[in-house]
Amino acid sequence: MDHKMKKDLRKKYLRRRRHLGQLRGLGNMDPYNKMKSLKDKGGKIIGCFPLYPPLELFHSMGLTPVVLWGLKDSVKTSGRADLHLQSYACSVARHLVEFVLSDQGRIMDGLFMYNACDTLRNLPEILHCGLEENGRSLPVFKMHIPMAPQEQTGTSGYLRAKILSLIMELEETFGVVFSPEEFRHSVALYREMRLLCKELESRVARGAISYGRFSQIIQESYFTTVEDHIALMKDTLKEDPLFRNDSVGPSPAVAIIISGILPPPPKLIDALEDAGFRVAGNDIASQRRSYDYTPEAADNPCSYYVDFYFNHFPCPTLLYSADKRIATIKNLASGAGARGFVFIGEKFCEDEYFEIPYLQKILKEMGIPTLPLEISIEDDLNSTACVTRLEAFSEMLRG
Amino acid sequence: MSEEQKAKTGHTKTEAGKRLSKIIFNDYMRLHQKAKEGAFVVWIAIVVPAELFSGFENVVYAVPESHAAMSAGKGVGPLQCEKAEGNGFSPDLCSYARIDLGTAFDGGKDSPTFGLPKPHLLVSDNNNCSLLVKWFDVYHREWGTPHFILDVPFCYEQQKDRDFDYILSQYRDLIAAIERLSGQKFDARRFREAVQNTGEALTQWKRFLKVASHRPSGLTVFDSFVQMAPFLTSRGSRELVDHYRLLADETEDNIAWGIFPVPHEKYRLLWDNIAPWHQLSKMSARLAGLNANIIAASYTYCMGSLEGEFDLYAYDGGDPLGYLARTQNFSVCPHGLELRYRSMQKAIKEVGIDGVVFASNRSCKVYSIMQMDMLKRVTRELNIPAVMIDVDHADVRKYTEESVFGRIEALLELIDVRRNHALS
Repeated sequence: MDHKMKKDLRKKYLRRRRHLGQLRGLGNMDPYNKMKSLKDKGGKIIGCFPLYPPLELFHSMGLTPVVLWGLKDSVKTSGRADLHLQSYACSVARHLVEFVLSDQGRIMDGLFMYNACDTLRNLPEILHCGLEENGRSLPVFKMHIPMAPQEQTGTSGYLRAKILSLIMELEETFGVVFSPEEFRHSVALYREMRLLCKELESRVARGAISYGRFSQIIQESYFTTVEDHIALMKDTLKEDPLFRNDSVGPSPAVAIIISGILPPPPKLIDALEDAGFRVAGNDIASQRRSYDYTPEAADNPCSYYVDFYFNHFPCPTLLYSADKRIATIKNLASGAGARGFVFIGEKFCEDEYFEIPYLQKILKEMGIPTLPLEISIEDDLNSTACVTRLEAFSEMLRG
Repeated sequence: MSEEQKAKTGHTKTEAGKRLSKIIFNDYMRLHQKAKEGAFVVWIAIVVPAELFSGFENVVYAVPESHAAMSAGKGVGPLQCEKAEGNGFSPDLCSYARIDLGTAFDGGKDSPTFGLPKPHLLVSDNNNCSLLVKWFDVYHREWGTPHFILDVPFCYEQQKDRDFDYILSQYRDLIAAIERLSGQKFDARRFREAVQNTGEALTQWKRFLKVASHRPSGLTVFDSFVQMAPFLTSRGSRELVDHYRLLADETEDNIAWGIFPVPHEKYRLLWDNIAPWHQLSKMSARLAGLNANIIAASYTYCMGSLEGEFDLYAYDGGDPLGYLARTQNFSVCPHGLELRYRSMQKAIKEVGIDGVVFASNRSCKVYSIMQMDMLKRVTRELNIPAVMIDVDHADVRKYTEESVFGRIEALLELIDVRRNHALS
């Protein structure tokens, strides 16, 4: 079989897998409609700013947390956001503001934010202004998560106090009550969900699941209940022959790692797979960085979140994780047998930008070529250049 | 010389201006000299309380942001930025960071101060901007220099007791870290003296800024921008107190003698954001030509005040560490919109402002993202016209003078229209 024939077969195979994913109804509902179905069940929805909110806590108190990233399917324009944010705010912030200020945003009962980055920390009052202009308001729960290392005096104690304050605020606002038993139950559910995410990711790494389909499944978790997400993943793993048999289909040959805040947009994922890449390692904030670590079951939320945050998968936005991050990336690259590393840079995300040159340097020392791509709010319009670069990168890696 | 300079900048260099040049030159030379002689060198973010280092006999500090501002002012900003960009750093990163990275990775070449001596410790904080932590991490990784992060909660309202205690505990950690790394003992007496000096210097600073209330104003904001520099390089020193006292004296004397930077001042403006370091002379001269004067800035009046305030928060001679913890959030960036509005409202009333220039600064998102709502609120609630212009504090390549002045002139026309309307 010549190279062209192999390439055509692979494309055909991948398209079939994508099609199967679509048949299952994944990605067919936009975030708003997913939230609406949650609301219709009587849930109180807490819209959480990215990246790593304390989801288990909200869940344990009978609230339904959704993470406000991946909103592009619900916000077709950024007109409202443009009245409040300059064009150099990242797409995550602009989509978030647009969604909250739109009529669709009325579906939420509250917002939660923490100091994930300089842009996000400025948003609560901007949103307040935007909502007020339309005679609306939403309770906003703000929390400072310590960004100095745990060894520094005061960080753990401060975080514990903040968790307690948050619990009291939630109780007061929504008339709910914290229960250690419920918390333990929620922690167990989220732990199960995260383990399933990791299981799916390992199948992607082995070439048994397309990365596109995996991304759709993970995206479900932002706007669904943890129970439904677990059921979806279990069902998928059980029923789909493609998931049951790891050896089905040709495994794309070139193992790469992708890194960034959000997964690449669909067009780029298609291009990535058409170019014959296998995502053997994942360093995406809304994916691996989010589900990699869950502490053991606990009924003390303060201890739990000290463990959760300080042992979190390293992320450029978790400032204390800088030292651990380099070692993690090295391990990820060597463990995955990666031949290339693709940065999916979120335009204007300086937390990510500062790290890229150093990561490129250490990856180069490991003999791993890198490809930095940049995704902006107009990513659908600008995808052609990225696709061409991905194809060229593939050709280069194949020699 | 003075006439030539007046033609170029709109006014002559004051005695305080001449003295400032000497202080800054001496500060950098002393820094290099002491480092060469074996002093323990700390690089700090702009709002790390440098008085802590005065508590040690042989610890010196450098402020990369201040050095970057000076580089931009001296015209080498784009050159250093390009060096950083050549090393893979995105042009969308803060231009201070790019200037500093470009300078450091080129061994201080092209720097007006021969760069900065290599640090033994990096101290960042995340209240002014969390990216300072990322920026210092670059050096931490490249050079293996220890990096201490001061984690300071953002203020949506005035500082809470828990936040105060948290900051205090970190100062104690920082002192212990320096003791461990430098082998030097912290001297509480020296430290208290430094805080006392800072308190006095800030009293004089506020006195200096007060001359803006006079009509015409005794200063331009460009004077105050450049005069901030020694607060960063000489913080806690007696020299700083003396300089700011002379600065305030001289400026008050000028008013008494009828000497004003914009004698036919017709428009009194307020600036919101970091200074456009590459444009100080040009902007000052062009505004003076329009009889417009920017007389106050959130960037300068925050020094010496608490969040949401405009007046001095004086040091009362009490616990010096407590004073620093309480004023840790003095700069604008760690303040929420409500606090920023409150202090701006006070400034507008006390100084007498006709219009506000919101400088949307690509290199400082934390300062800028919020301005669109600030602008709406100022125009709506204070009935003051305002305009937004695009700048970059240190990268002149992202600045278009005609576009900026087109907007500023529109603001001046709007002020005229309102005045005429009020008269008719």
